[in-house]
Amino acid sequence: MRNRHSIKTHAALFRLPLMVLIALITVGCGGSNSGGTNITSIPLPTDTLLNLYCENAGVWPDSCVAQDPQNPYRNVVIREFDVNNPDAETKFALADAIPEGRTGAKARFYLWATALARRASGENQWYTARALHELFNYNEDPVIQAQALKAYRSVLDNFFGSATFFECCANLDPNGDPVPFSIPLNELTADDLYRTDATGWTRLIPGDPLLTISEMADWGYSYQPATPPSFDNGVVSVNDG
Amino acid sequence: MAEISFFRCIKKICGILIAIVALSASLMSQAYAADVVTTYKDEGGWRLKVNGEDFFVKGVVWGYSPRNQNYTYNLWGESDDFIRKVLDYDMGLMRAANVNAIRSFAMIPPEWITYIYQEHGIMTVVNPLMGRYGATIGGRWVPNTDYSDELTRAVLKAEVLELVEKYKNTPGVLMYALGNESNYGLSWSSFEIENLPEGERNTEKARYLYSLFNEVMKAGKGIDPNHPFSIVNGDIQYIDLIAEYCTDMDVLGTNAYRGKSFTSLWRDVDQKLDLPVLFFEFGSDAFNARTGQEDQKAQAEILKEQWQEMYNKSYGNGEEGNAIGGFVFEWRDEWWKYKQTENLDIQDRTASWSNQAYLFDWAPDQNNMNEEWFGIAALGTQNSDGVYTARPRMAYDVLSEIWKMDPYEYKKAAINQEIEDMNMDYLELKADVRMLKEESVEQRKILHFEGGSLRTEMLVKGTQAGVNEQGDFGDEFSNGEMVFLDFGFAPTDKIEGQFSLNVLGNVADTEPLELQYGRRGNPIRVRAVELEGGTVPVVKDITLRDRDRIEIYDFSAEYTGKIFDLEAFYHTPRYHWGYEGDFYGLIRETTDMAGQDIWNAKAPQGVQFDGKGIFEGLTLLVGPEVYWGANPKAVVRYSNTFKNIDWTFIHSEDLATSNDSATATAVTEVETRQTTLYTKTDLGFIKDGVELEIGGIIGSSDKIDDDYERLDQGSIFEDDIEFEDTLGIKTRLTFPVLGAQAYVASNYGGLVADGGAPLREFGTRLPYSEFGNKEEYEAGVMMNFGNWMVFPRGLYRDNLEKALPNRDPSAGGGQINPGLTPRNRDDDPFAILDNRKARAAELFVTYDPTGATPFYAWDNDTREDAGFAFNVGLNYTNYDTPTDSYEFFLEEFETNAAFGRGLPSEKVWEVSSRMVFNPTRDLRLVTNIIGANQQSTGEPDGGTREYYWADGKMVFRKKHILYAYAKYNAFGPYDFHRQFNITFPYQYKVDYSYLLDEKYDELNSTKIGIRGLLRGVDDDSPTNEFLVEGAENEYLWQVVAYFNWSF
Repeated sequence: MRNRHSIKTHAALFRLPLMVLIALITVGCGGSNSGGTNITSIPLPTDTLLNLYCENAGVWPDSCVAQDPQNPYRNVVIREFDVNNPDAETKFALADAIPEGRTGAKARFYLWATALARRASGENQWYTARALHELFNYNEDPVIQAQALKAYRSVLDNFFGSATFFECCANLDPNGDPVPFSIPLNELTADDLYRTDATGWTRLIPGDPLLTISEMADWGYSYQPATPPSFDNGVVSVNDG
Repeated sequence: MAEISFFRCIKKICGILIAIVALSASLMSQAYAADVVTTYKDEGGWRLKVNGEDFFVKGVVWGYSPRNQNYTYNLWGESDDFIRKVLDYDMGLMRAANVNAIRSFAMIPPEWITYIYQEHGIMTVVNPLMGRYGATIGGRWVPNTDYSDELTRAVLKAEVLELVEKYKNTPGVLMYALGNESNYGLSWSSFEIENLPEGERNTEKARYLYSLFNEVMKAGKGIDPNHPFSIVNGDIQYIDLIAEYCTDMDVLGTNAYRGKSFTSLWRDVDQKLDLPVLFFEFGSDAFNARTGQEDQKAQAEILKEQWQEMYNKSYGNGEEGNAIGGFVFEWRDEWWKYKQTENLDIQDRTASWSNQAYLFDWAPDQNNMNEEWFGIAALGTQNSDGVYTARPRMAYDVLSEIWKMDPYEYKKAAINQEIEDMNMDYLELKADVRMLKEESVEQRKILHFEGGSLRTEMLVKGTQAGVNEQGDFGDEFSNGEMVFLDFGFAPTDKIEGQFSLNVLGNVADTEPLELQYGRRGNPIRVRAVELEGGTVPVVKDITLRDRDRIEIYDFSAEYTGKIFDLEAFYHTPRYHWGYEGDFYGLIRETTDMAGQDIWNAKAPQGVQFDGKGIFEGLTLLVGPEVYWGANPKAVVRYSNTFKNIDWTFIHSEDLATSNDSATATAVTEVETRQTTLYTKTDLGFIKDGVELEIGGIIGSSDKIDDDYERLDQGSIFEDDIEFEDTLGIKTRLTFPVLGAQAYVASNYGGLVADGGAPLREFGTRLPYSEFGNKEEYEAGVMMNFGNWMVFPRGLYRDNLEKALPNRDPSAGGGQINPGLTPRNRDDDPFAILDNRKARAAELFVTYDPTGATPFYAWDNDTREDAGFAFNVGLNYTNYDTPTDSYEFFLEEFETNAAFGRGLPSEKVWEVSSRMVFNPTRDLRLVTNIIGANQQSTGEPDGGTREYYWADGKMVFRKKHILYAYAKYNAFGPYDFHRQFNITFPYQYKVDYSYLLDEKYDELNSTKIGIRGLLRGVDDDSPTNEFLVEGAENEYLWQVVAYFNWSF
């Protein structure tokens, strides 16, 4: 009899936690999350003070800008051109939505640096370099100046053969639509460094433009500047040895 | 006179002829009459008599278990010719050693009992096991026989009596013996018995057992009064109950493992039962667990002393006089006995139980009984008849000498003198010499060549477009050759292993229809800089043709120690831990070696430590790929039992992220970690058969603070992973209901509480997932009706966070809406893939009249022994929501890439049936039929596919193998086909092979064969197959003739 009583007690001891467990399971242990930060509408920065999130922010292959909490594009979908969906909106639509001039320079950097972090391309690297260059033009921050040079050099070092496409009024197809034409990024990079007429920005390497050619030679490249009036015949080549 | 004389002569001749016929008939009837076996007792003790002659049983427990087979192997299903070869070989050796009787676990058909008796003079005990290892009761396979159940008792009794009826007139039958240590298998539970104090439960169960035994013996003697009835008891446990209940028993049969002496057994039986004693098992293993070496002498010494004692205890020696002989366990080693379904081609050295009576290798807290080493003969290699040979041990020679003696002719003193005079040193030397000779045959050396195979093939293939344009010139020919060389090594007693080398000759160009092992040798084009004219560097495309001709195909090595075992493995099959406490499936099974070979994958790779003694229950596993597709990881597991609760702790830590796909396009997983705890409790105090399993997981804790986005009522939120998102709990309650077995299960997983591969049982297609972010409920009821099983199951799952849609960003007014894109598992801490919301129901109906070869066992294709068995399954799943983005591995950049879009919501279904036919002993047919409507596992474009297929394999006379399939609108045969939603309008394959040796092993036999494939292509097929050189193509075909030589 004592043993039977013991068995019942034993059973009762187990029954309570078991029922609690089953109740827990039935009710469910969790639910959908709540909280977090509403990012449906993110304000774009309008200032020109840029704190680099890491030493090589905006220079491939570093992608730390994608983790930069100051980066408004950190969570933004940035679409590249898709040959299977050529009419879809791309990163250029986002770029066009950024105000021109001083108030948009910092946002432009974040856009292109984020695009570069997600997709390694010469185009993204060149636009990032240009954005840094533009920022330097406004804030004259030597850190940004150095970063812009690193970014331009990355175009040459890592994406020398890349090109970007432009559409211009000068070229129209028989239907009157613009025809895209490509320009080598190495040439655009050298032109941005050497000649400031097109942008009006401060030269990254101050002083005589020959210093730019000298700096590029130190990087391992030769540059034969473009000539007026068209400025489309510049040549960049890789130095032997 | 002459005429009279002629008639007289005729009459005389007729008379002689009649006399001859009558005499012959008489002799014939004598020859085929059953024997009369009786027990006899007088003041000298007990004797067994066969047809009035004394018969001291000098027996062995006999069975025929080839290498690579286990208890399911059935010799009696082989051809008569092969059975005769086996019997003539084994019985010939036994007869030479003066064996006069055998006991077999498998029921020997009557005609073969008579054959053994008439050809070799050896009698047989008919030994129905009476549910010892489970029984089919009421059409349902019951693994733990309940001898108190009325239906069970009736079924078992009827089965035995039917056997007695069948065997009663069979010449060669010695007696009937019931069960096998059935008193050790009283493991069923019932409410009444569990209410008894623990110590009385088994005694109560034993009463049911022995009362049933006696019922059967009593009724059996009514059918066959000419043979004694016995039981096979485990030692003499419950001897008082035996005396009380088994009043109709003629002989006490027992399995006794008491070491060199049977101690007080003789006296106990004499006093309590007064019956003759016959040992149905006794003996010793021939392996010394202490030294880790074969120990023939220890076995022989023990057997010698046991038989000496038996002879002394036999009739007329002034002692109890109740010994009438015994069956030595066993005739020949069986390599399946440890683990039973694993390592069937290896003689395992693991001691699995402890017995202090065997002092030659006993040690405290150590096992010393090696189940696979009990034979008085070792299991050898195949002879020219395909029969696995028996390699006699020293015990065989010792017993041959002992069995020469007739204990009824020799007196005790003479017996003892004769046995004492045996030259054991000589017999040991003889055994050593024999072993050395035979080891040279087996080539068991420090490093030895074990064999291998040569595979050759000749191929012709083409396409419709190629044939149309070029005629016969459109055909392509190629050939392939490769050799496997297998080596073994055993540098010390505690270390042994094996490895195989693969050597490539030509590689047949079977792609795209077939991907085969050896692709590593295909020519590849690379871009390289060459110096033109010795000075000018020029970039050129060059083709490398002779790459990787030799590689190590597989490797394994084992160290067996006292406190741990260590196993190193490289591309050798390994099983999951699902039945060893891995509730979350962290360690996946890797047994599809052929599937890996086509990608030249080399999983699993690693080292496993298994603790023993003080480390019992502890397992450490570490390796670069411990299962196929795994990241480099280390795993620790500890299992124990605490107060009737089994529990297991597992921690798995990835050490790096793999930089290569397991196939060509299968994604790699980011480095992570998991910790699980699992408990399993028998809740018999609630109701018999109630069992609760509970598991908890902390998964991917390295993702805490990782950001993710979610959509909530149109707004986009950025959130981060918190600790609670890593937690999960999983339960499963199994319980009987109305005679069926039911279960309910739940599985809650936080956003990143990812586990491993869920265990799939009984053919289920329910949409389980390894990933977290779910609340999941499942239930099912397994109902058995005779030979039928009906198993409905259902699953409901919802997600804690939903998949994200594609939504373009927008900007304006100095603000930006970031837009959304489906998550993927590389850029986001989690993604909704196959863990998406689901409502699934399925029904499986199975017919299997032979429960001992379970229909859902992994090897049922070859093991199923029913004349006809089949199942039909229907699964319907409603995926209410889309998924996030699946990914694929981009080999060029050695990284994963996302498809960028998720699979849409869909309703999918599958109907399937598997059938096994064994219409005759010479023919086996296995077929699968499937119809389904399923989605891709990656690429969302192209929609859901409805497809059908059937495949079948026919094996005729174990030598002719025909395999074929036909598929319509189905995905291609490889994973990436479904991953990229690639289907073909039709696919056919036929493969016929003929085995040229007697191994009857599809994979390892020497064989010759031919196979053909035909694949239609359309817009849903790969572009490079559909479009050939700019022209649309309608089909591809290929014929391959092959020859595999195993040596």
